[in-house]
Amino acid sequence: MTRTGGRVVAASFVAALVVVLAPAIRAGEAVTLRFSNWHLVETVWGRSLREAIRIFESRNPGIRIVPEPISYAEKEARYQAECAARRMPDVVKLHNFSLAMFFELGCAADLTPFVQKESPDFLKSWYEFPIKSLTYRGRLMAMPGDYMSMVLIYNRELFRAAGLDPNRPPRTWEEFREYGRRLTRDTDGDGRVDQWGFSMPASKNPGLPLRVLPIVWSFGADFLTPDGRRSAMNTPEFREAFRFIVELATVDRVVPPGVTTFGPQDVRIQMAHRRIAMKIGSGWTYPIVNAINPQLNAMEVLEAAPMPAGRRRVTAAWLSGWIMSPHTAHPEAAWRFIKFLTSKETEKKFFEDNRVISSRKDVNVLPMVKMDKFSRVIVQELQHARLEPQIKEWPEIFDAFTTALQEAMTGAKPWERALLDGHTRVEGILARR
Amino acid sequence: MPDASRAAAWDGPRRGFRIREPAVGYLFVAPAVGLLVAVLVYPALTTLRLSFSVPGGLGARHYIQLLSDPLFWQVVRQTAVFVVASVGAHLLLGLGAALAVAGPIPARGLFRVVALLPWVVPDVVAGIVWKWILNPLYGVLNDLLLAAGLIAQPLEWLTRPGLAPLSVILANVWRGFPFVMVILLAGLQAIPQDLYEAASLDGAGPWARFRFVTLPGLRKVLVVALALDTIWEVRRFGLVQAMTGGGPGTLTEVLSTQVFKQYFHFYRFEYASAMAVAMTVLLLAVSLPYVRMIMQEE
Repeated sequence: MTRTGGRVVAASFVAALVVVLAPAIRAGEAVTLRFSNWHLVETVWGRSLREAIRIFESRNPGIRIVPEPISYAEKEARYQAECAARRMPDVVKLHNFSLAMFFELGCAADLTPFVQKESPDFLKSWYEFPIKSLTYRGRLMAMPGDYMSMVLIYNRELFRAAGLDPNRPPRTWEEFREYGRRLTRDTDGDGRVDQWGFSMPASKNPGLPLRVLPIVWSFGADFLTPDGRRSAMNTPEFREAFRFIVELATVDRVVPPGVTTFGPQDVRIQMAHRRIAMKIGSGWTYPIVNAINPQLNAMEVLEAAPMPAGRRRVTAAWLSGWIMSPHTAHPEAAWRFIKFLTSKETEKKFFEDNRVISSRKDVNVLPMVKMDKFSRVIVQELQHARLEPQIKEWPEIFDAFTTALQEAMTGAKPWERALLDGHTRVEGILARR
Repeated sequence: MPDASRAAAWDGPRRGFRIREPAVGYLFVAPAVGLLVAVLVYPALTTLRLSFSVPGGLGARHYIQLLSDPLFWQVVRQTAVFVVASVGAHLLLGLGAALAVAGPIPARGLFRVVALLPWVVPDVVAGIVWKWILNPLYGVLNDLLLAAGLIAQPLEWLTRPGLAPLSVILANVWRGFPFVMVILLAGLQAIPQDLYEAASLDGAGPWARFRFVTLPGLRKVLVVALALDTIWEVRRFGLVQAMTGGGPGTLTEVLSTQVFKQYFHFYRFEYASAMAVAMTVLLLAVSLPYVRMIMQEE
């Protein structure tokens, strides 16, 4: 045998050895879990989550967590594609509007068997409503994460500067409109308005429903008829609510120009730089605004108040859920990680770091939550909170609404025509069911 | 090993299995063919099958829905305007830039690199940058126009119905013209200098030289640039999505943003697939002149 031939035989032998022994070698390695969450790209939340991962890994030396950041707007698209390819990360976070679709697509593992192995009282630490909302066909498909009501956030200093009492936020939508007018001002005297009363993310983004639904619902309107079969966007109440939102931009001009291109982060930037006085938000608002501009002193200057009321006192609820990939190779490890993320200790940490309210009752009774001026309002308003419709067609229905809203706000169509077109489109969407 | 002995080793008697020479060729191309099947043919066939999928079998329901959907036709019209305006401007600007940097100008290399910069910026990044430039509150363009006294109030570039499509097209023109410039520059350099010299001796001025030497010399390259740029622009997604998301309303929606929305946001997989197939048919029709020209060349 030549020297080269000998090398080839030796290399083949080593390769064969690696192939044969690889499973045994892998068995001795730590389990690796892929963890994807949009908060990983955010400064405050990202830091908090990475700290939580480090704590989990130090307590579970056999499990390694690989964070996979993703943008908020694209998470559903990517997870869907990964799920179809059986490559979805082992643990991901979603919020309620897309959870129903993931359950229906079979892109979430059934967590019921894992819960059944825990103590009988395991689920009693959570509010009933989130558990019920994440149960699909009798099976628990996600563990509840944060659970918050949407509230009115306002800047006390700008209220005071406009001659408004900072301890008396608007209580009705008419008051809100009046406050908006007074807070829209030219503060530097150059003849151009540079501060606006209110702002909202009216681009096509998944954050808009949470800001619009409280207004629509409080006017006594809804998107669908009670049986969910027809559009209710042609009712007098809906027309009134729609007109109110549109006229904030077109008649009262209390929102900044370009509102239909704003996403939630744009609005937070405006609030952080004192360009706007009021916005709709929740627990996450303060830490994010504070991180954008620490000089604002958000914790002191910003204030939370219940949403102004119309015919009804109502607001929208934010609910997120942790789901396990149905294709995970390590379900036990993934469950252990989900259990850690939803534990009282971790939820308490998430509150401390991010001011997000837990769906666990035992966290929300802690003095640190009850004494916090923002959290107090958010927890109190949960009793008036409703979730977005959890139907497959909801994103498309809301897109029809947003299209109408943008057309009316920008003057592309008169508001009546825009709303009628939106209503007709929703009727078409529902007719396909 | 000398060639002769290698050939002998190949042609001589062998132990074990033998591979015939034509089969070796197929083996060499097999990985590339396999890759193409995996990343092009399989997804294309899956999309086609999905577009005909109806509960209980196959049918043309999604295509019928598509043809009767007013939004689809509105988006087709908008895509046509977007593509015609973008490609037209790319050709004009690209030709102008190619002529400018082809000549003996100082720092020619630097100019060529600078002119290429918009092309190397990723689509989505270009969209985000333009969104900030055109922002009515913080945007630099309004600041410049206000400072120059050309406008009295900031303009809402991306939200006014008349301005939004125009703004997206302008951003796309900026991003896309270097591609045409590069192709035309190569074409310009291939035109023999003798022709220009002969034309000059015959008394042709700059315009006559451009009309009777440059343009005929660029004809084939222009067709290639036109076809490739049109295909690119029909598929344009990132820039539009990042700048406006298709808004206000649906005024800046193009086919690619609609396909994405229908598939990933509205979960209408079959309908989105039908739309994607329709878009592919459109693209094939657009690329036919290009394909025909290539085949004629061969």
